[in-house]
Amino acid sequence: MQNQTAAHCPSRPEPAREHEPAYIMAVTRNGHMSEHVMEYAASVAQRLGYAILAVHIDTLPLFNRGQRSRLFAAAMQESAAQLAAKARHRGVALEHLAEFGKIGDVVGRLCRGKKRIEFVVIDKGIRLEEAVRLAPVPVFPVTTDQQGLFGKTLFPTTTTKGVFAMSTSSKQRYVQRCVLFGALTAALYAAVFAYQDLVMTYFSKGGVYAVLPVATVFAVSYFHGNFTSSFWSALGIEASRKSGAQPVVPAKQVTGSTVKAPRPDTRPRLRLNA
Amino acid sequence: MHGPIGEVIQFIDLNAYTIAFLFLVGFIGGLVSGFIGSGGAFVLTPGMMSLGVPGTVAVASNMCHKFPKALVGAIKRYKYGQVDIKLGLIMGVFAEIGVQAGIMVQKRILDTWGQAGSNLYVSLIFVLVLVTVGSFVMRDAMRMKRSRTETDSGPNIAKRLQQIELWPMIEVRAANLRISMWFLIPVALATGMLAATIAVGGFIGVPGLMYIVGVTSIVASATELVVAFVMGLGGTLVWAYYGMVDIRLVLIILAGSLFGVQLGAIGTTYVKEYMIKYVMATIMLIVAVSRFLALPRYLNELHLIVIDDFLVGIMNKMSFGIMCLALLIGASIILTSLFKARRLERAATGLA
Repeated sequence: MQNQTAAHCPSRPEPAREHEPAYIMAVTRNGHMSEHVMEYAASVAQRLGYAILAVHIDTLPLFNRGQRSRLFAAAMQESAAQLAAKARHRGVALEHLAEFGKIGDVVGRLCRGKKRIEFVVIDKGIRLEEAVRLAPVPVFPVTTDQQGLFGKTLFPTTTTKGVFAMSTSSKQRYVQRCVLFGALTAALYAAVFAYQDLVMTYFSKGGVYAVLPVATVFAVSYFHGNFTSSFWSALGIEASRKSGAQPVVPAKQVTGSTVKAPRPDTRPRLRLNA
Repeated sequence: MHGPIGEVIQFIDLNAYTIAFLFLVGFIGGLVSGFIGSGGAFVLTPGMMSLGVPGTVAVASNMCHKFPKALVGAIKRYKYGQVDIKLGLIMGVFAEIGVQAGIMVQKRILDTWGQAGSNLYVSLIFVLVLVTVGSFVMRDAMRMKRSRTETDSGPNIAKRLQQIELWPMIEVRAANLRISMWFLIPVALATGMLAATIAVGGFIGVPGLMYIVGVTSIVASATELVVAFVMGLGGTLVWAYYGMVDIRLVLIILAGSLFGVQLGAIGTTYVKEYMIKYVMATIMLIVAVSRFLALPRYLNELHLIVIDDFLVGIMNKMSFGIMCLALLIGASIILTSLFKARRLERAATGLA
């Protein structure tokens, strides 16, 4: 590892080297890097004074005529922004790369490239054997107890919504929902007010017809409720991200993630593969 | 069974002013409800009546708009983890019983003292409850603000009640406490009775949940939305059975109030605990003043006092104006604190 770095050194200007100390490479093949991988990379990098090189590898660039790639790129941006926020918070330097191809190849190429990479952490979904195939440095799979739930959706909460799914930016989704439910609400209102007289005759008949107004307002609360919800979200007016304001469940999760992030070193070391 | 009443009632024609008024009041009322768990309804009934809507239709339509609004608000706040559904449903069922009891009391009073007597009773209850509970909540909010304790360990009465193990015990997960159902029932009954009397049960329900059951103001106001949903649905079914619901009015109010309720619910995630109490107490106290001004009219009608009709008219107008003012002040406090907290949070994340 050091030999390789030394070999590349002469071609590199000195100041650049100061800015690029040692790197921890965090690799994922998912659109969104797992929360605990980001946490782990950020906290270890802070402790050791390293920088982070985050790599999103698109392993299926041609899948579904590039549709997956577009989704991947959008999710990657979101994920990169999240990691950037974490890194900034801890005062850790961060570089982000978008790659495609086989994971083993990419990891090998990057490690032998210009970066001084000390070790690699891999996200769920990457086989260890594949990652270490050409890697000249140790590779650690950062796992949590949640990793066993592979086929299951990891509970989406307000803070982690969309993080585990390869979704496009939430704002765009809100606008789409806003338009959809807005149209449905408008249609419902138009129907009621266009046929006012007919509606009023039946709706105020009483008796069994009592179901009509009640059913209508339930429909309104679904359509219009969704519309107004996504309306404010699309405008960017959303719930506070501070968990302090949410007294109940989030407290548990916050402790969960902070405990998991600086994980004991024992497990990764067992799988050392240099 | 529904024939005669259905034929007598007159549904008003809608015009731009009516629609704008209902939409706006709906929005502001929704905002307040989303934030403190109830409110808004007390302006809507007299508001609709001032537009020419018959009293029963106004009450029925108000009720019918209340439960979808509470439903949407409750779902929103459930996503924030603030709602205890079990607590809300149990309270809701007993509150429904309270509503029936309240209606019976109302009927008895109506039979004995007539319409003016009934109105006087409603106003007196309004003033009495709002002044006592409102000032208590206000004092507590002030104390919390001064001491800056965000996580209040809960009031003393609640703590003592929680220690009494009396079957059946209810576990309130959202608030992390256990309390016997026997202490919930009186709170729920009082909520229902108040709802039947003054249309806003939350003025008892939320303080009851906070000070007797001992949940935080955020969980209390969120759970009150579930209670309001249960009560509203029950009430609406009865009113709709008699064909009293004007669905057009309901839809217009809902159009505004669902915007409001979402915003109010979002607001609760930004503000500190005492803010909910503060807004609630402010509204309660101002409404109490408003209802106090309405008292002379009914006293006059009952010939208990003699006041000039002109003066009564002015007081009446002032009473309604102050009621609207209460909502407006509540809404502006919510909006200001929401956007202020949001700006601060954005600045903080921007700097970090």
